[in-house]
Amino acid sequence: MIPIHALALALALVPAGRREDEPQRRWTIYADEIHTSTGRTLANGMVFVNNGKISLVSTGREESPERELLKVRAVTAGLVDASVRIDAELQSVEQSSEISPSVRVADSLDPFSIEWDRQVRSGVTTVLANPLDLDVVGGLGVVLKTAGPESIEARTVRADAVLRGAMGSQPSYGNHPAFGRPTDFFSRRPTTRMGVEWEWRKAFYDAAASRKDSERAYPGSDLVLRALDGDLTIAIQAWTTQDIRTAVFLKEEVERELGGHPRVLLDAAAEAWKEPDLLVRSKVGVVLPPFPSNGRTGEGSFMAWNVARMLHDRGVPIALSSHGSANPEDRLPLQAGYAMRGGLDFESALEAVTISPARMLGVEDRVGTVEVGKDADLVLWNGPPFEPGSRIVGVLVDGVLKVDPREQAE
Amino acid sequence: MMITILALSAAASPLATHRAILAPESRLLAIRAEQVVLPDGGAPARGVILIEDGRIAAVGPDVEVPEGAILVEHRGTASAGLVALHSYSGSPSEMFDSTRSVLPEARVSLAFDPANPDFADALRAGITSIVLTPIPASLCGGTSALVKTSGGVVVRGEAQLSLGFSSLALRNNRFPTSFGGAVAELDRLFEEPEGVFARAAKREIPVLLEASSREDVARAIAFAQRHELTGAISGAAWAGELAEKIHSAELSVVCGPWRIGEERRDLLAVLALEKAGVPFGFAIDAPANHPLMLRAGAAMCLREGLGRATAWRALTSDAARIAGAEDRIGSLSKGLDADIVLWSGDPLDLGSTPQAVYVDGKLAWKDKP
Amino acid sequence: MRALTGWFQLGLCAASLAAPAIAADGSTSLFIQGKRIILRPGEEIQDGAILVRDGRIAAVGRDLRQPEDAKRIEGAVVCAAYIDAWGALGLGQDSLRDPTTSAATRTVDGLDPWADEHLRRETLRAGVTVVRVQAGADARVGGIGALVRVAPDLPAGDAVVQPACSLSMSIGQAAPGEAEGRDPFERIADLDRVVSAVETGKNYLIARTEHRYELEEWEKKIAEKETELDKDAKKAKKDREKEQKEAEEKGKPFQEKKYKEDKRPQPPRYDEDSEILGRVADGAIPFFVQANRSSEIRGLLTGTAEHDRLRLVVVGGAEALACSRMLAERRIPVLLAPVPRGRLGSNEEETAPLSLAGDLARAGVPLLLGTGGEDAGASRDLPLVAALAIGNGLERSKAFEIVTLGAARAFDASDRLGSLEVGKAAEILVLEGDPLTAGAGVRYVVSAGRLVVEPGN
Repeated sequence: MIPIHALALALALVPAGRREDEPQRRWTIYADEIHTSTGRTLANGMVFVNNGKISLVSTGREESPERELLKVRAVTAGLVDASVRIDAELQSVEQSSEISPSVRVADSLDPFSIEWDRQVRSGVTTVLANPLDLDVVGGLGVVLKTAGPESIEARTVRADAVLRGAMGSQPSYGNHPAFGRPTDFFSRRPTTRMGVEWEWRKAFYDAAASRKDSERAYPGSDLVLRALDGDLTIAIQAWTTQDIRTAVFLKEEVERELGGHPRVLLDAAAEAWKEPDLLVRSKVGVVLPPFPSNGRTGEGSFMAWNVARMLHDRGVPIALSSHGSANPEDRLPLQAGYAMRGGLDFESALEAVTISPARMLGVEDRVGTVEVGKDADLVLWNGPPFEPGSRIVGVLVDGVLKVDPREQAE
Repeated sequence: MMITILALSAAASPLATHRAILAPESRLLAIRAEQVVLPDGGAPARGVILIEDGRIAAVGPDVEVPEGAILVEHRGTASAGLVALHSYSGSPSEMFDSTRSVLPEARVSLAFDPANPDFADALRAGITSIVLTPIPASLCGGTSALVKTSGGVVVRGEAQLSLGFSSLALRNNRFPTSFGGAVAELDRLFEEPEGVFARAAKREIPVLLEASSREDVARAIAFAQRHELTGAISGAAWAGELAEKIHSAELSVVCGPWRIGEERRDLLAVLALEKAGVPFGFAIDAPANHPLMLRAGAAMCLREGLGRATAWRALTSDAARIAGAEDRIGSLSKGLDADIVLWSGDPLDLGSTPQAVYVDGKLAWKDKP
Repeated sequence: MRALTGWFQLGLCAASLAAPAIAADGSTSLFIQGKRIILRPGEEIQDGAILVRDGRIAAVGRDLRQPEDAKRIEGAVVCAAYIDAWGALGLGQDSLRDPTTSAATRTVDGLDPWADEHLRRETLRAGVTVVRVQAGADARVGGIGALVRVAPDLPAGDAVVQPACSLSMSIGQAAPGEAEGRDPFERIADLDRVVSAVETGKNYLIARTEHRYELEEWEKKIAEKETELDKDAKKAKKDREKEQKEAEEKGKPFQEKKYKEDKRPQPPRYDEDSEILGRVADGAIPFFVQANRSSEIRGLLTGTAEHDRLRLVVVGGAEALACSRMLAERRIPVLLAPVPRGRLGSNEEETAPLSLAGDLARAGVPLLLGTGGEDAGASRDLPLVAALAIGNGLERSKAFEIVTLGAARAFDASDRLGSLEVGKAAEILVLEGDPLTAGAGVRYVVSAGRLVVEPGN
């Protein structure tokens, strides 16, 4: 709920001035429309930012000499992308083992990469960074801001946020049977989908058994145990219907046989629209991949622009993603636009790129809406958000202005 | 090796800078030089260095030359021997075991040949101590060794534990293939209760964090802070751009080696280290590089604005500290090893050259007049 | 000479727009005062001044008065700026590594005055204002090198000091794409090629000169004959008509008495490479030959002994000490780049010992110093390389001479560069201490009469 009246927070205890070299962190933003992602839109409203947090959201106008003023057409929360790869190369995935839960993606991220800047300019302020999906269980994904101090630790919103893995043919690419070849791990790893699924199942069963029999434990099995207990979300990449079904059946089997209650997220679930009942029944969230231009996308799956609407109508929680693609047409704000073109209403599309992924990643207390007390991650538009004619003219991350609307030509 | 020179007359030739009678063994040796470089590198003054049993007994302008001491007069500058921090002298092909990614018990001190001409090259360039390091192509290549360039003396057999944070430590067909996997494995190794990693975790032995890019440095700093390690970062030309973080983590840096035509950005990164108060020393990576580039690199940094005192410390006392031997080498102070170089002029000027080098109080090399 | 490209014309516009111009060519008048002014190696004056106008040194002395329009600069030590005799600044990698160069390839055609801009500033700050650059550093025949100024944004006439300052060839160097190390027969072939190149050039020159004389002779002869024929024209006409009539009467065909002139002498076939080699053989362009082994240097010296106009420079010269007497007698300079190389990966016979500069200087062999001609950023380190040579036995005063007047002389540019004398171009350094020492501290640099480096820029 939004306070209509001004509500000064304790966060307003700010030092009188700031040093020359410190970025400005106190802003007043006037907007014709403030889309809060909570279902409410304020017209002719203002947002106050103090010290990296949102301190006021209300209608009206009030200037203050301590805060710099920005005037824009529309404001939304900073976009949250639930599936992104930043310069992910072979060094991000530990190929010597198919199940490597303790490998942290954060260790392979480069804080100096220019990819971060591209993300910021697309309005994306929080991402879940993933490794390349060449392992069955690839490791621990990290949720972090796309701008801020040049250090992965300082930008991290939630370390070890998800246990990342893949169902499908990617982990079996390049593997080959052992006949007549020298032993290397490419000849040990699965060469089929069922082999991949078997690895998953074995990881779960061994982890569960290790509670009683320590011989069954393996490096990282403690993390798989936490995932079984629902303490660590599992994000499974599953492009095609058969992979989605496999993932859901596996989840249900684990619940049934091992007494676990894992929280599962399906990533890149392009064909989720074919199995909506299954998804509703098993209560899994879905992260959609970038909409393809001709329908065909990863691993032969098919999706059209109306799948977001279809899933939403069935009550399946969805989030849109861009996979960190370098193509301008795949960037996240355009994904929301494509979903709207496929029939999804504006509010639901906005939620699918803000609060819904934040909830899936467990960071909804900090990001995802324009509400008092949340991180000041805001996107400023010169028109209705997600329309092709509108541009992002400003971006704030933790209250620091990374893209300046005053420098944009109208 | 014994050098016997007979002084034929007191009126020595004006070109000679030494007037000495060297008897085979003498406990006492005194060197009187026109200028003596003090530990802070500044304001050299005329003085005497008194050496007893291979160690420095006294240094100063007012030191008396006792009876029975052999006196060496030097028309030039005397200073502590230089300390080079990262090299493969003596056995470049033996510094890397390719079968294992983690081999902490490997000791470089057992891998080098003191008779190798690399050491004579270093000695002639005024370097009296060198840290020999494993090649950073594995996750843990072993421990480095601090050795004297004359006599094959090993000062510190396990000077630093070498850990690989760059992509050189990764392979595409053997564990680890990823940075995440490498860090996870290191985390696990540092939990072990005994062994070399345990000693490093207890700060009994410093670590040498081998990096090549800034992201490697960032990762190495985070790791060192997580495990509260002490040590130095080596191999990244732009490490200095993260100087503040390195300072908060209380780590040091090994810079270089530089070459003629070195990029200015690399040299400016060294200035950033000075500004943040991070101690650093210089690498030479011989025999691929010539040991003279140690001083040449320092000269390049001086030209870009590095302070003289900082440059001198980087060549001597700070380098000794990074090598874990500041109680033995790196300055003309009482009680330290008598590793002394007699220069023709200011050692920070490339136009000066060593004319004699003493290691552990013995004359190790002398220039032909 | 081919017309210079549009780059230089743009530079001209840029310079005249950018400078807060006082003089017409965009340079300010400068009045440089120094406690010690090193006019030439070995000659100094105390408490003197230099007046710079229109890009040149207009006056030098102790009692100069500062003109009103001149900008005043002062410092402890003033001396001539340094010249890198073996550099690569402003030459793109494509040209530098061009394997297809021939004798007629001109490095000026591959220059980019705006390339390496940050390196130019660093190089100027180190006191180096002029660099010799050579395309085809790897090739056996590198083409014609040029002497260029380091400062950016100079008008066309000032950017290139000398468009043809050297012709470069090498002995014993593997061509790009070949395996390292050439066997003895290949090396002998290289030596032969170098020596015969000079021969070819000389012969071509001789042939062209002879042709000129022959042509002159022939034309003279024709002219004489024509005048002769003109004189007797009438009589000859009458005789001819008479003979015609006689022939008609006798019924014989008339034989026209034709005067057959000698064929016009043909010039030797034009070959641009031989043209250049001819100029080299004649001493118009210095001949820089890269040779490291003593046998090859000796072979080069004996092979070129008869070409007394040839101006030879030995480049590299790792084992040149063995031939020092011959080099000293014939006053053949050796160009060194005394950069310390590690033991690993360097060929012992091809690596000059660090003491070489000092040893050659003591043996009376003229020297040149450079930074190797492969790395554009290395010119900035020329003072360090010189200092290393000094540290290994070269006298400091000699080193200073080598990088200033000595280099200017070797390139026939000593009327313009190398010392602080009236009429020369203003290439001046203002230092805090002695040149080529650690305490030198370059504060101001003047090049082509312009102040290109000031403290704080």
